[in-house]
Amino acid sequence: MAGRDEVLGATTAPHSAVGAKPADTWLERRTGLGALSGALLHVRIPIESRTWYLGGLTLFLFGLQIATGTLLALYYKPTPDGAYDSVKFITSGVTFGWLIRSIHHWGANLMIICMVLHVVRIFWQGAYKHRREVLWLVGAGLLVVTIGFGFTGYLLPWDQRAFWATTVGTEIAGSVPVVGDSLLNLLRGGADVTEATLSRFFGMHVLVLPLLLAALLAVHLTIVHHLGLANPKKAEPNGPEPGGKLKPFFPNYVLDEVIAWYAVLAILVILASVLPAGLEDKANALETPPHIKPEWYFLFLYELLKMVPRLVGIVLPGIALGVLALLPFLDRNPEVRPRKRPIALGIGLLTLAAIAVLTVMGAG
Amino acid sequence: MELERTEAVPAVPSVGIPAGRRTFLRWLLGFSVFSTLAMVATPVLGFLVPPKSTSNQAGGRVLAGTTADVPVGSGKVVAMGSTPVIVTNTAQGFHAFSAVCTHLGCIVAFDSTLGQIGCPCHGGVFNASTGAVVSGPPPAPLKPVTVVVEKDQIFLVNS
Amino acid sequence: MMPTPRRDVFARLTRRAGAVAAICLFVAVVLARTAAAESPTPVVPTPTPSPAASAGASLGPSASLAPIATAAPVTTPSGSPGPTLPPVPKPIVHPSDASSNTCYDCHSAVNATQAQISSQWSDSVHGKNGVGCADCHGGDPRSTSMSVAMSPQAGFIGKPSKAVSVGVCGSCHSDAARMAQYQLATDEYAKYATSVHGQLLAAGDSRVAACIDCHGSHDIKKASDPTAAVYPLNVPKLCSSCHSNTQLMQPYGIPTDQYAIYSQSVHGQDLLQKADLRAPTCASCHGSHDAKPPKSSDVVDVCGKCHTATQALYEKSRHSTLDVGPKCWTCHGTHDVQPTSEDRLFHPTPPTVNCTICHDPVTNTFRLKTEQFATDADRRCDTCHHSASAEYAQASGIRDALVKASATYDTADAKLQQAAALGMIVTDADVALTEARTDLIQARAAVHTTQLTDVATLTDAAVAKAGEADAFADSKLSESTFRREAMVAVVIVIALNVFVLLAVRRRIHRDDHAAEGEAPVA
Repeated sequence: MAGRDEVLGATTAPHSAVGAKPADTWLERRTGLGALSGALLHVRIPIESRTWYLGGLTLFLFGLQIATGTLLALYYKPTPDGAYDSVKFITSGVTFGWLIRSIHHWGANLMIICMVLHVVRIFWQGAYKHRREVLWLVGAGLLVVTIGFGFTGYLLPWDQRAFWATTVGTEIAGSVPVVGDSLLNLLRGGADVTEATLSRFFGMHVLVLPLLLAALLAVHLTIVHHLGLANPKKAEPNGPEPGGKLKPFFPNYVLDEVIAWYAVLAILVILASVLPAGLEDKANALETPPHIKPEWYFLFLYELLKMVPRLVGIVLPGIALGVLALLPFLDRNPEVRPRKRPIALGIGLLTLAAIAVLTVMGAG
Repeated sequence: MELERTEAVPAVPSVGIPAGRRTFLRWLLGFSVFSTLAMVATPVLGFLVPPKSTSNQAGGRVLAGTTADVPVGSGKVVAMGSTPVIVTNTAQGFHAFSAVCTHLGCIVAFDSTLGQIGCPCHGGVFNASTGAVVSGPPPAPLKPVTVVVEKDQIFLVNS
Repeated sequence: MMPTPRRDVFARLTRRAGAVAAICLFVAVVLARTAAAESPTPVVPTPTPSPAASAGASLGPSASLAPIATAAPVTTPSGSPGPTLPPVPKPIVHPSDASSNTCYDCHSAVNATQAQISSQWSDSVHGKNGVGCADCHGGDPRSTSMSVAMSPQAGFIGKPSKAVSVGVCGSCHSDAARMAQYQLATDEYAKYATSVHGQLLAAGDSRVAACIDCHGSHDIKKASDPTAAVYPLNVPKLCSSCHSNTQLMQPYGIPTDQYAIYSQSVHGQDLLQKADLRAPTCASCHGSHDAKPPKSSDVVDVCGKCHTATQALYEKSRHSTLDVGPKCWTCHGTHDVQPTSEDRLFHPTPPTVNCTICHDPVTNTFRLKTEQFATDADRRCDTCHHSASAEYAQASGIRDALVKASATYDTADAKLQQAAALGMIVTDADVALTEARTDLIQARAAVHTTQLTDVATLTDAAVAKAGEADAFADSKLSESTFRREAMVAVVIVIALNVFVLLAVRRRIHRDDHAAEGEAPVA
């Protein structure tokens, strides 16, 4: 039988099995990367682990965003005069420009969706417990940075929708008690949304946030590698027990992951072709369009602010975020199985339902 | 306990796969890798090649013509991207306005008999230096466009 | 102080006698002046054949054409100047001091009607500008005694008759020096004398409209006051308050459906529904003080007052050179003007043509029978021009050019919208499309020149520009199709990749299964 090594070629160095390539290949002798890649890939994960590849998809989409974003940055001009025209030029003048831009647009949306689903999966499986507290905190940081990506990137086309959604969004930030005004000033680079805002949003989106995300991601993945994938069926405070069933990370899990990545790529291509990213009228600070709405992932917050007093609408989500970040410290129940965590899951489901309902209301 | 690392892949009893099939599988994988690379590289490379038309790329300034094109006491309609703009040259210098009439959207033109901007559809007249409505049905003045004259070149600034 | 009934009756009789005497005096003066062939007031021009009240001609589209012929019109006989209004009288002389107005003081407490009249006056523009009761009625506003205040010696004329009231209004409002401070025109009296209303009043008919009927008597407001009856938006209702009344109009044989027809027209809809002050009211075409239906030869100027460009175009046409050529109202109607388009140039099927309709065989001249164009369906080129004529061919060419340009424009517009709906950016075609539209609008207006070359120049330009936009839209549409096709190809490639990976996956799992001797895991 053509073993996996036959088909794929072994990459472990000295202890490879029958049919593996020689340990000291040309590249190996010059880089010594074989040991590292082996250490990273040739690990085993619990047979019961169910990730639905959501974390990996988020990573894949991030990589896609970096690639398409870099390409876009080759034509984009971050000034009010140049931004709109350059985006229009990319969309209608550059070869495949529409594709790169639309993939970037839909990739952003899908990345946030996958990330949220990943968080829900972790929560559902109790995979934030048992030595995974720091991992969860870093993940909370990743969540905030990703939302930051979405917010800063949305302004860059400088059309009416972008301009006014940013105005509304920064206005909400300005309502935070005590630090609101300074925060507004800091975000906007002044009192109003101007070219100063565009400059700093561009700088954030293209330099600050990518570096920050990359750094957090490196920590996140290192810890994941160190601790391995969580077992949703039983609590493992000290790691997998000796008798536990394991399966190889590489190639089994990685293969499934790549298949999932292909599937999402297909979805992205379809979305980009059938619903390409559009462009409204150029931003006009003197003309407010009738229905300004922030992007969909902020709709729940926007809707909440319409229903409760300003202060409550700011403080409540702030507290919720704090609870989310500190969840592993607040939920000391050692159980990971759903049946044994009714309160946690109940609260979680309610929160999700509330966010979903608010989002739908905000969209309507 | 740390994750168990594979020290060695245990020897697997071969259940005789013919060499052809093995090669076929490797070929399939190779095709897979190649097709993915091709699928990704094509748009990326296409994107990187600068397109021929650079009219919009200048994002901000559009060359409307030379001063010889618009002598004193005349006006000319040019396209600034997808917007029609009328450039006039009067005693007060060069001015430019959106050439879309504020009445019902027709494209205005310079009327040399009047020395003003006129709309041929329903007779609206605009002041050639300020864009204000002089007579006729238009309800609002023409929107001004910033014009910059460098040496003998007339630039329209997109704002 | 309550007036005694007897004094009241006596006072009224005196006023009436005075009024009759005044009228007789006026008429006598007028007759004397006419006999001397000297008339300081403008001679009323004889009504010429116009879409007006003269027997035989028809009043445009009004449904009730027949009554004109059957009713006995009370008009001035054609061919001779009728009675005119007397020259404008001097203002009523009456005593006054700067502040007293005992008329108001008493009358506001007499009874409800008088109280209402008094408060109307005090709210009116006259009341607010120091024009008191005595200025129109005469009398002594300083006295609290009725016999003094309302005495003819003090100039009291009581309630003036309609004809007298016109003179009373005119006595101040024709005085340039007096009106200068209010910046009011002073030609209303003179104009009114030329109007149908004025002529009929001069002939003794007091049922017609005079100053007080439109402007009110005690409750006069500025014409710029939106609540005034003469404010442009309210004018049609004002005119129709008499002119839609069949009883009132029956003696004159004037139809009463104008308001109903007008309110359905483009002009009426703009004025009454959209409150667009630029739209014409009755007064815009008929005049207000000088109200009379415009003569046939004046119609082009009346319509051309607003439609200046169209008038200029019309005057380039052959139609404008002919006395009996069609005027604006021939094709567009008078009260019932509707939006028009190029498919209203011909009948759907050619009508039967009788040469004598337009050619008088006896005198060998053209004639235009206006009743041919009474219904909207007959306002077509081929009502006059038979299908074998050169004019018909020319009109046909014009129609075809316009239809083609319009269709090209619509197609291009629809395609651009379709492309936009598919997510393509189409703003670059906006310039070409707007230019095409500009040319098309001008081409439609150029119909009035009846010159095919004029129209064709514009339609050709419109077709060219619309063609550019159309080509652009085509390229966007085909690009969108290409994208979707490419998407299918790419998804297929991805699917193939996935199948390959799934095959490898199956291979690996069988591998594991064999290795561990257990059921394959998912």
